[in-house]
Amino acid sequence: MKGLAFYSSVSIGRYVDADSMLHRLPPAVKYAWLTAVIITETMSSSLWVLSASALLSLLFIRLAKLRCAYIFRDFFNIMPFLAVAAFFQVLITWPGDTSFVIVSLWKFSLTARESLYIGLMVLRFAAIMAAVGVFTAVTSEGDSARGLEDLLSPLAKLGCNVRALALTVALAFRFIPIIAWELETIVKAQASRGADFGTGSKNPIRRIAAWFPLFVPVTIRALERAELLAEAMETRLYGSGPATRYTETPHTSCAAALIVAAFLYTLLCTTLPLWSAYMFNL
Amino acid sequence: MKSNVRRIAVSGALGAVSVVMALTPLGYIPWFGGAALTIMHIPVIAAAILEGPVAGTLVGLIFGVTSMIKAAVAPVGPLDPLFANPLVSVLPRLFIALAAWGIYALFRGKLQAAAAACAGAIGSFVNTVLVLSALALTASKQLSGAFKVDSAGGLVQVLAGLAVTNGLIEAAAAAVFTSALISAWRGIEKAHGRSRLADDDK
Repeated sequence: MKGLAFYSSVSIGRYVDADSMLHRLPPAVKYAWLTAVIITETMSSSLWVLSASALLSLLFIRLAKLRCAYIFRDFFNIMPFLAVAAFFQVLITWPGDTSFVIVSLWKFSLTARESLYIGLMVLRFAAIMAAVGVFTAVTSEGDSARGLEDLLSPLAKLGCNVRALALTVALAFRFIPIIAWELETIVKAQASRGADFGTGSKNPIRRIAAWFPLFVPVTIRALERAELLAEAMETRLYGSGPATRYTETPHTSCAAALIVAAFLYTLLCTTLPLWSAYMFNL
Repeated sequence: MKSNVRRIAVSGALGAVSVVMALTPLGYIPWFGGAALTIMHIPVIAAAILEGPVAGTLVGLIFGVTSMIKAAVAPVGPLDPLFANPLVSVLPRLFIALAAWGIYALFRGKLQAAAAACAGAIGSFVNTVLVLSALALTASKQLSGAFKVDSAGGLVQVLAGLAVTNGLIEAAAAAVFTSALISAWRGIEKAHGRSRLADDDK
């Protein structure tokens, strides 16, 4: 359980109060582009699409007037984990890998396909991290729930309680740093009392039992926080009458155009293999 | 009118717990031979038991989307890229809560610790079986390559073996953890007292 300390320094999930072009956009537009970057980065395996989305994330950082160092501060902390993932890529031979071998050491070899895969993995990770980081930096808590509600509003006609759904997802986002911090506190407290978390023990029951003093308190503390939150919301009479909104989202044609653009970008990128096949056949 | 404030708050918090479990070593118990037992689905089961199937399904959705993004962004094994498919990583996870809640409801509030243990075991086993079936349906070709079997029957055998060995141990672990968690929480809840408005609704 080493290397837990960095989860408290995660800048993802923190709102940076500033005035920039991105801050002023309606939250639905921010969601649309966040989804566009995440979908293209996860679904596509084309180098062009991945680089385009990564450049897009960099552009967002500039437009939000954030410093790259701020967004990528956590990236260096996560590097060891990426290194471990890369190491596994080298260790495991992919079925049907026939590309040429770059370096070979004893039984293990780094092939061109594996090194490309590692590069793409780092690129994907950095791009998604930047996109999520910028999104949380320019969207306040209230806005992120409001934006989700706007995006899901068509579902309300089917009888879904969209407002509650949006609030739940927004709450989960905001709870992540808190829960990570709780976990870190508990791990350190247990370790300082000499807990070894069952590593090295050969007894299967002991291995599972060693996880109890971590899992149960972390979840109980999360539930306690949920209880406090529910009480705070009830004292403010949440859900006891018709819902009102503090801010109404203005519907502008510019925002609509930006959402359509995000949708088209996603569609174009995910169907790129079809397009290029068509072009080459021509 | 039944207040849903508590449902919202608890699903939000447990959703965050499942994300943290996926991102830190908390979600995996190191097991023998380099394998790991996952306990990431327990927040989903806990939400289903405490706040009903809707809250559980919401947490299941959060859990599924997290595992999809994680598999796509940083795969650690040859099987991981297959989880980038939402049919494998998201859809099966939506049924964990329904199964767990159904089993828990069968006990009608009696024998809470035993009810929670059964719900945990069934919820966990439903997760294993559905995920493996989804894998077999969507990616039989890649799986056959990875496990070095050449017939569809052989693949089903390998997956069934995985479901029985890994799945049963995970179900047992889930039963113990869910039971401990629910008992601890109900004990605290009794001493602490619930918030007033929610009690009036019942």
